Amino acid sequence: MTRLADTASRWGFMTPAFLILLAVLAYPIAYTIEISFAELDLGTFLPSAWVGWDNYELVLTDERFWHSMKVTTVYLAFAMPLQMVLGFAIAFLINAEWRGRGAVRALFLIPMVVAPVVAGGLWRMMLDPLWGITNYLLGLIGIGPFDWFGDSVLGMVTIILIDTWRWTPFVTLIATAGLLSLPRDVFEAAEIDGANWWVMLHRITLPLLVPIIAAAFVVRWLGAVKMFDIVLASTLGGPGRATNVINLFIYQEAFRGLKFAESAAMSVVVLIITMVLTGIFLRGTRYLEQRY
Amino acid sequence: MSAHRSTKGRVSRRTVISGIAATTAASVATRAAHAAPGDGGGLGTAEAPVSIRMAANDAFAKLWQTVLVPEFNKKFPHIKVTIDGLPYSEHLTKSLLDLTGQSPAYDIILNDDPWTPQLAQTGALLDLKKDCAAWTDADFDWNDFYPAPLAASEWKGVQYGVPLRSNMLLMFYNRTHYKKAGLPEPTPKLTWAEFMAQAPKLVQDVKGEGKVNAWAVGTYFARDQLTPTIWQAILNSNGGKLLDQNGKPLFNSPAGVASLQTFVDLLKYAPPGAKSYVFNEELTAFRQGQIATMFMWGSVFRGTAIDPASTTLKPDEVGVQVMPVGSAGPGTHRGIWSGEISRKSQFPRASWALLQWMASKEGERFSAANVGSFPARRSTIAGTPDPAWLTPVFATLNQAYEVAGKGEMWRPRLAKSDAVQQVLADEVARATAGELSPADALKNAAARIEKLRL
Repeated sequence: MTRLADTASRWGFMTPAFLILLAVLAYPIAYTIEISFAELDLGTFLPSAWVGWDNYELVLTDERFWHSMKVTTVYLAFAMPLQMVLGFAIAFLINAEWRGRGAVRALFLIPMVVAPVVAGGLWRMMLDPLWGITNYLLGLIGIGPFDWFGDSVLGMVTIILIDTWRWTPFVTLIATAGLLSLPRDVFEAAEIDGANWWVMLHRITLPLLVPIIAAAFVVRWLGAVKMFDIVLASTLGGPGRATNVINLFIYQEAFRGLKFAESAAMSVVVLIITMVLTGIFLRGTRYLEQRY
Repeated sequence: MSAHRSTKGRVSRRTVISGIAATTAASVATRAAHAAPGDGGGLGTAEAPVSIRMAANDAFAKLWQTVLVPEFNKKFPHIKVTIDGLPYSEHLTKSLLDLTGQSPAYDIILNDDPWTPQLAQTGALLDLKKDCAAWTDADFDWNDFYPAPLAASEWKGVQYGVPLRSNMLLMFYNRTHYKKAGLPEPTPKLTWAEFMAQAPKLVQDVKGEGKVNAWAVGTYFARDQLTPTIWQAILNSNGGKLLDQNGKPLFNSPAGVASLQTFVDLLKYAPPGAKSYVFNEELTAFRQGQIATMFMWGSVFRGTAIDPASTTLKPDEVGVQVMPVGSAGPGTHRGIWSGEISRKSQFPRASWALLQWMASKEGERFSAANVGSFPARRSTIAGTPDPAWLTPVFATLNQAYEVAGKGEMWRPRLAKSDAVQQVLADEVARATAGELSPADALKNAAARIEKLRL
């Protein structure tokens, strides 16, 4: 009886959270999946006819969808390693004792709290070829001028730059916490044994940090695959379609093209790919945790 | 796309919704016939005022709320009006969701030029000439509107809205730049060939710095739904059209390719970074004296030529006219915001009272003078504008309305018009970025639009 009451009370406490999660998470996903197999009646926003796999067939044979996936892959392939390396490098610097370290730490949080649309707008102004400060400063040392938003390669560089500016502090925060949690005695023993800074970094710090690095990578990955707002606020996916990341493509197809059903199918495909890759990364993380 | 299975499982839900819609429609009709005297016949009383809500664009919603509504309330003191500003990028979707919801938040939807068919197809808008006929003032003169702006809110023979903020794509020019370049001041007879021939001279040093600091032209070039309107204006001025009456693309033609090439060539004489220009960038460049011409919506005239808080130019420096002449005549492009009433509005009469006042001769004059909205009535345009700086603007609008009506210079008027516009935005952007030739870009666009099954 006591056990039954205990179970009942546990479920009683969990039910509100469960219902809220069901409403805000499960329902939208279920609705997206439902309309991805249907035609959507814009008069009622309800599925009007079941079309089977037709929407998926259209999406998977659409060259534009795969192009956007390619653009997203390029962005992730450059942005993720850059942010991880920079984030941990800055954490090492901040971790060392030097005057003004506290102020720098505080300043580092600013990019993270700036709204992405504001960040995109700010960078758009700074990188403007006519009025922007970036070209002016580069011009002082004889570099440029660059058409940051008018060139396909520079357009992608710009997106990676803005994203890195925004999210490196996040990686730095995680890395700093990880560095502070490392056992001091190991480093003291290595110092007594005559290990220099490089050996300690290479042989002790990095191996001990591997689980932290892996966890930070997975968390950052989950944020990065959602890349949308910065592109919308800065390049609109251009020039041409050079920065047309998948989420912007889906948004434009859905809310501009009013192709909600096909866009739902795209979202499901992206969701599955993301889940599979996240699963792989998580397994990798567990493997590294066990190894180190 | 074909239906593989029946929709049996959804019949009940759709039936319920259809039932609700039918009941609501019947209720509106009943209200129309027998407006309750207790609430002032739908216009509210001192004891029981009515409240209506309008979804407008966030660029001017606040101004309308603070300037137009108090003026309207002098005539209709018992109608409380709330105007919400929606961001342009979400305006259509939010309007669609609201109109088709069971309890819409908005009585009035402000609708951009190409959107009426998309909203009207849901059956959620009132037919103003029929459903609101009993409440229409005797002196509300429908025939006084220019046909082009009024047609923006008409679909399949039904008038769903009235023009509240009319706009046309025009050519703005800086007289100082033309003078400095030794070129004659543009006239409405300027052709595209002449414009392109003059453009290299307009890339010049206007500040005596010994380097180029002013360019010939700025306009929409980025990957945006409004960018193709510039190319379309060139196409229309050459007698070309986007689509035929069945929605089949007509633009993939030698005239279409030549027009797109002209548009792409404009970039040669545009400032660095112009490929990413949308609304704000060319506007700022022109207002700061960095470009000699811009193809832009007429409504920016005040902030560009008159208001020293937003421009470095003097009023007599700025000229405005229709876009250059092609083989068929001058070009322009229509951009009308129309007010439309939700069929599920609790207060359709009060909503129509507001729209009617805003679109009336009196309302138009007040709006033109106080909130900078351009009129759509012949009588307002023909009258003496107050303030006087509107005189050249009204003259240009008069020509632009006639030109637009004659050449059907507007975006596709279809239930899928935004889908068409997005395709054009994508492919025109690829041409301006140099990813594709104009011919290949239009070929792609035509193939994609064919697939939309308009």
